[in-house]
Amino acid sequence: MQIEALDDFRYRIPRDESRGMRADVVVFASRRLMEQIQKDKSLEQAENVATLPGIVGASLAMPDIHQGYGFPIGGVAATDWRHGVVSPGGVGFDINCGVRLVRTSVALDDARPRIRDLVNQVFRDIPCGTGGEGPIKIERQTLDQVLEKGAQWAVEAGYGEPDDAEFAEERGCLKDADPAQVSDRAKTRGRPQLGTIGSGNHFLEIQYVEQIHDAEAAKALGLERGQIVVLIHCGSRGLGHQVCTDYLAQMGEAMKKYGIALPDRQLACVPIQSPEGQSYLAAMRAAANFAWANRQAILHFLRGAFRRVFGPETRLELIYDVCHNIAKRERHTVNGEWKDVLVHRKGATRAFPAGHPELPGAYQNTGQPVFVPGSMGTASWVLVGAPGSMTQTFGSVCHGAGRMMSRTAAKKGRNATEVQKRLEAEGIFVRSETRDGILEEIPEAYKDVDEVIEVAHGAGLARKVARLRPIGVIKG
Amino acid sequence: MTDNFEILEHTADIGFRARASSLSELFEAAAEALVAIVLNPANIAPRETIKLAAEGESKESLLVNWLSDVLYWLDGEHFALRSFKVHQLDAGRIAASAKGERRHPGRHEPRLIVKGVTYHQLKIEQSPEGWSCEVYLDI
Repeated sequence: MQIEALDDFRYRIPRDESRGMRADVVVFASRRLMEQIQKDKSLEQAENVATLPGIVGASLAMPDIHQGYGFPIGGVAATDWRHGVVSPGGVGFDINCGVRLVRTSVALDDARPRIRDLVNQVFRDIPCGTGGEGPIKIERQTLDQVLEKGAQWAVEAGYGEPDDAEFAEERGCLKDADPAQVSDRAKTRGRPQLGTIGSGNHFLEIQYVEQIHDAEAAKALGLERGQIVVLIHCGSRGLGHQVCTDYLAQMGEAMKKYGIALPDRQLACVPIQSPEGQSYLAAMRAAANFAWANRQAILHFLRGAFRRVFGPETRLELIYDVCHNIAKRERHTVNGEWKDVLVHRKGATRAFPAGHPELPGAYQNTGQPVFVPGSMGTASWVLVGAPGSMTQTFGSVCHGAGRMMSRTAAKKGRNATEVQKRLEAEGIFVRSETRDGILEEIPEAYKDVDEVIEVAHGAGLARKVARLRPIGVIKG
Repeated sequence: MTDNFEILEHTADIGFRARASSLSELFEAAAEALVAIVLNPANIAPRETIKLAAEGESKESLLVNWLSDVLYWLDGEHFALRSFKVHQLDAGRIAASAKGERRHPGRHEPRLIVKGVTYHQLKIEQSPEGWSCEVYLDI
């Protein structure tokens, strides 16, 4: 594999026709991150993405890229809306997995002494859902409304405050979602899971604002030093997982029909304008809406937990909600012309700059808020989208620190109680529903989030606004 | 509980390698591996018998679809399964049964939520010693 360093933040792997590549790969990374990235198969996966029919621009790798299945995690690919393909593998099983950041009226000094009570209360009120049902019981007909209306359904059903849906990507609802394209199995699997976090790397973190890097943007986002904020990371639960499973199963036959051959079956794709492509997109949008309703419901129960601990006057306001596993039709400038493309973001976050018409009025002058969780022992970042994202990455940036250690390796030779004690000594109280949940997500399993952010900032994809530190973690 | 499988490492996800003397037994062993990743199978009571079926255009897609069916029972129907028995396995079709009971977090300690069964580095191989497969799961 030929890798060319373009500058301090960018590398290029030129198109190799013998591998069937239709485009270059561009990697956003520092030298040190690039050394880590080359230890797994993520660049090979980014090359495979470059073989997708109708790919526009390059196959893009964000600085947190690591090996996934089919697409790398941290991969972005835009395909021509008229002549390109949609790949369910380019969205993943957890459709609209994403993060929302909530600002609170609680200060660090008030939260620290009560962090155990708070974590225990949140743990009781918001289940992870590893073995049982969630806090919301809905009928099958109601589920169809959830799939059509997303976060708006949750707000109308009493799981939120009127402004909540305004502060989410797509205002918490993708249009043209069709519940009829979602299988009975997906509905059965997802229905009892509304209002649950899930397991794996999903979490709810109680954090404080440690550093402000851009005072003006922080003010617009309502952030100040020492303030408690909550970061919620989860997705569409079993409903989205089953939608991906169902459509991947259909793609084998469909690919033969359209004469598409790919190096990895997990990249399975069909033309966007084919009946199969349109059906998948309508189901994917429905699953994305389920995820927004899920994160909105979690915010509702979070408000209840905070008010039980800190009093009924406690305020929790949604800063923004971003998705990082999604495929969306967007208009971008390509070679000086407007072009409609389907942007697959697999472990990547939209990062539109100031002035973009998609942003709510409150963020028109700052750019879209972007949240990048680190590991549970380190830090998370608040960024805002910068103009460079529109010229380089179809308005995208990284979504996390990026794993560099397998879950098995993370568990080897470590004891959950010891890890918990070590984190407590650092002022971080952790509760997990499963024994392995803490070990698998240890800070050492992740790359240095600060370095990932330096690349995102340095390459002009997003701007640093604030650094957050955790004091309480709830994991699946 | 079988010991016919081992866990494979992956940066973000998890995989397993299963071995058996026949293809039917391989599919049974793979299903047991999946169950053991999702929950502790030690206390599953064989209260009910469940019928399972899947189709696929190749052995590989049949294995993915079969495991996706098992996963649906675990995560969609909240059913803990054991004692898989393949009754028929031929040209792209599998018919099988399993015994089990409704999942109970107290009895069947949850381990991981598996989101889906992937085609990533999927392998089914036959050797003089028998059959083996490698499967990666999204978690």
